[in-house]
Amino acid sequence: MTVSNTVDQYTIMSGDRSKIKDLLCNRLTECGWRDEVRLLCRNILVEKNGNNSLSVEQLIAEVTPKARTLVPDAVKKELLMKIRTILAENEGDN
Amino acid sequence: MSASNATHTHLSSSGGASQMATTQGHLTASAITLNFRELIKEPKGLEDAANYLFQGLLDDVVAGIFIEIHHLRKTGNLTALDGVGEENAESAYRICEMPNLDIFGISTAKKPMDCTCPHCDRLVAAARFAPHLEKCMGMGRISSRIASRRLATKEGASASSSSTSTYIQSGGNTGGTDDEDDVDWSSDKRKKKSTQNSRNNGSKKNNGKIF
Repeated sequence: MTVSNTVDQYTIMSGDRSKIKDLLCNRLTECGWRDEVRLLCRNILVEKNGNNSLSVEQLIAEVTPKARTLVPDAVKKELLMKIRTILAENEGDN
Repeated sequence: MSASNATHTHLSSSGGASQMATTQGHLTASAITLNFRELIKEPKGLEDAANYLFQGLLDDVVAGIFIEIHHLRKTGNLTALDGVGEENAESAYRICEMPNLDIFGISTAKKPMDCTCPHCDRLVAAARFAPHLEKCMGMGRISSRIASRRLATKEGASASSSSTSTYIQSGGNTGGTDDEDDVDWSSDKRKKKSTQNSRNNGSKKNNGKIF
């Protein structure tokens, strides 16, 4: 049993996943990351306009590492801490 | 999930819930919880889980944004959102600053605003067109008289120049009848008329000033 499977299954089951995702989306929109990534996607799409050989998956793989580096440290730290507390508090109850 | 159920699962699958997963292909809710709790028992496991969850969600968001933009581009909305470039707009809508031209580059010189009367084919200044038409077509208080008179002059037309001349003379003496006004009110004739009037001392105004 891998870490990813366990975490995915448990968070979806308990409903924490959507909660955390909402929080993440809010924070990223607030700090302007969303607009930056939009611009990034736009530029990549316009650049690769000529050749249709690249699939959407390949393009997403190209965008993702850049988008990750754009996330502000403060947001990342806050989110990781929140995720940790949410995951940890499940240990205690029921 | 009840407590007894949890302990039961724990006892029955003492070898670990992962074994159950491999044999059955899917997990029960209690087994998932159990797996998860074992994972986050250690601080390192918790750290891994948090990092994994964060990255996974972040990637989801990136993919979402990318697909959103991709959709916009495929439907043509991206170019619509971009709008027209500033350079293009400037050339198309540049404000003209030449003398004698307005901001659109059209001449500001006054255009003659004359209309052709459909009744008598005379050129009439636009501002005078409505009153002219009223008289010309024989409507209103004054016009019937004039219309009949014009008819009479038309009949007498070229043959008897004496009748028209007397008519004009009489008109000049009374300070210009409506008919005379009407005839000369096309814009290019206006100046001529006024000079004529001053020469003849026909207009009341000039009379008053001079004498």
